[in-house]
Amino acid sequence: MSDNTIIRVKNMTKAYGDNVVLENINTEIKQGDIIAIIGPSGCGKSTFIRTLNLLEQPTKGELYIDGENILEKGHDINKMRQKVGMVFQHFNLFPNMTILKNITLAPMKTKGISKEDAEKLAMSLLTRVGLEDKANAYPDTLSGGQKQRIAIVRALAMQPEILLFDEPTSALDPEMVQEVLNLMRDLATDGMTMVVVTHEMDFAREVANRVMFFDEKGIKQEGTPEDIFEHPESDRLKNFLSKIV
Amino acid sequence: MGNLVKKYGYLLMLITSIFVLAGCGKSAKSAEINGASDLPGKRIGVQIGTTGEIYCSDEYEDDKKGTKIERYNKGADAISSLKNGKIDCVIIDEQPAKAFVDKNKELKILDEEFVEEDYAICVSKTQPQLTESLNTALDELKADGTLDAIKTYYLKGEGTRYEAQKGLSHKNGNLIVATNAQFAPYEYHDNGEIIGIDMDMAQALADKLDKKLKILDIEFDSIITAVQGGKADIGIAGMTVTKDRLKNIDFTNSYTTSRQVIIVNTGEGKHALSIQESFKQSFVDDNRYEYILKGLGNTILISLLAVCIGIFLGFIVAVIRATHDMTGNLKLLNFLCRIYLTIIRGTPTMVQLLIIYFVIFASVDISKIFVAILAFGLNSGAYVAEIIRGGIMSLDYGQFEGARSLGLTHTQTMCYVILPQTFKNTLPALANEFIVLIKETSISGYIGLLDLTRGGDIIRGTTYQAFFPLIAVACIYLLLVVGLSALVSKLERSLKKNER
Repeated sequence: MSDNTIIRVKNMTKAYGDNVVLENINTEIKQGDIIAIIGPSGCGKSTFIRTLNLLEQPTKGELYIDGENILEKGHDINKMRQKVGMVFQHFNLFPNMTILKNITLAPMKTKGISKEDAEKLAMSLLTRVGLEDKANAYPDTLSGGQKQRIAIVRALAMQPEILLFDEPTSALDPEMVQEVLNLMRDLATDGMTMVVVTHEMDFAREVANRVMFFDEKGIKQEGTPEDIFEHPESDRLKNFLSKIV
Repeated sequence: MGNLVKKYGYLLMLITSIFVLAGCGKSAKSAEINGASDLPGKRIGVQIGTTGEIYCSDEYEDDKKGTKIERYNKGADAISSLKNGKIDCVIIDEQPAKAFVDKNKELKILDEEFVEEDYAICVSKTQPQLTESLNTALDELKADGTLDAIKTYYLKGEGTRYEAQKGLSHKNGNLIVATNAQFAPYEYHDNGEIIGIDMDMAQALADKLDKKLKILDIEFDSIITAVQGGKADIGIAGMTVTKDRLKNIDFTNSYTTSRQVIIVNTGEGKHALSIQESFKQSFVDDNRYEYILKGLGNTILISLLAVCIGIFLGFIVAVIRATHDMTGNLKLLNFLCRIYLTIIRGTPTMVQLLIIYFVIFASVDISKIFVAILAFGLNSGAYVAEIIRGGIMSLDYGQFEGARSLGLTHTQTMCYVILPQTFKNTLPALANEFIVLIKETSISGYIGLLDLTRGGDIIRGTTYQAFFPLIAVACIYLLLVVGLSALVSKLERSLKKNER
């Protein structure tokens, strides 16, 4: 295992009862990787990305984060989650808190950062995404695109080593997709390690350095965007791409 | 708010007018009863647990002549029914009957001879030495004329009242006497105090035994239970020695004799009280309004603290249950919570209150207010728990995932993210639960606690006026609930204002 590997997945299987969703997955995610996960609906993409921070508990296998197998008993999952941020399809902002509180809650409670420092950090991140004037607004007053940018800021405020995106633009109106994708591009440029489940093929092609094609319980093909989009190996990938593009 | 007052004002007027109509009772002359031979086929009122009830049940119940026996918790309620024509006669002990008839000119005691019966003090079967020392003390009180003096004072109004001896060390502890102070002249409320033949005799006995007298005023049919369970040392309540009672409890020698008599309503000589007089009698005379005030204080105290316990307990139980539902952890705690919920929701609040007081704390001298707060808090907790759990489970699961994905622990997620939202969403249901709780505390009287309802009852029992005490009590409850509702909707609005 090289030093810059953040996540290593070994022989991982996820099943709900008899229904196997992921079978025997093996892969590695290195620092600076931008991985796009594509594939048809119900192929296990979301389940896979959710196992990476244990929102889904794998049934079998090993999952190393920074070299530690977090599936071993007694491992501090909460500590691990501080390093692995996640952005959801439906934002999951807390409607009972202001934007500022949404962002500062976790750093203050989990890392013991002072309110002052947490707010300073939050404000600088908000300024970066151009939403500093919304600090004291409540989530329900924002548009979908704004909400998702706040959700990304909230994850960033934990200063994670890696960010997981589970279909971050799927719930947005078309005109708001770009503002979120642009922010993600900026993050990529800054060197953020990202795993993105997406249906935005342009984004996968332009931003990702690796693309994973998921189908039928596992990774069917993995490679550079060029490998995937220009040289699809299986009929199923060809078929999928022809429908999407 | 002005609108609210107007709305409830109309409601109040409607209710009041209904009661006024009901209060303008018909002059209810009893069906013709001149003696015991006329009783079959009539409606007879008795007080639960008295000799009158036992006698009537044996003689007239199911006699196939249509005799109906109406059982009341209090003699005074039976008398009220008689006055309103709901029953034809009341069979009750002679002395209380005289007290009732004195205050209600239209009532009359028939000259029917019933057998004499003995009143005695009941003592737990496990305390034969107490029975013995009470007998000795009784003999002394009879011999030195003290007992006669007490009876003369209450029955004829002559002489002076027995005074507790001063300077006693009370080295033998307390003498807790269970009674039901709605039975003049043996025991009744007067000016905030419980007095009567039995009570003065109890004081004299306590003095003889060098003990400090404590009076426990509870329902008549709870007295034997209280003595058996150790809540009280002895019971003195004009209690007749019967075969059935002897199975459960010991009695001292008799301290007086009485007879059962029949009271009928002649419909004559009724002195209709003016509204002012009736009001004055209900609240002003003897400072009777103090019963309402004290009762209101206790009702508010019990409700407030019970609500606190209920919310605290409810949130804990709900979080345990929801955590178990979501993660499968906390199996044992969840199991305990389910037992708690099943028991509390499966049994009536009143039974729970009685069990806590008479069974669980049977032999502990514990404040009744504390028992009531505990009982109502435990009860409310179960309902709050399910309301909150419902609120938690109906929340978008993304809220948990969002919080947990940031590294917050399960507890932090609950405290900062889930419960604040749940509280806001379930506020209407919670408010409803608390309204129910306030009204539910009206059963506190069953353990002899002076709450608002009981305060009104005491006035009703001493004045035989049903109208003002009941209406006053109803209005106060209504005001409490309306006030609470207003507060809650204000809170709801201010919580809603956030988020927008």
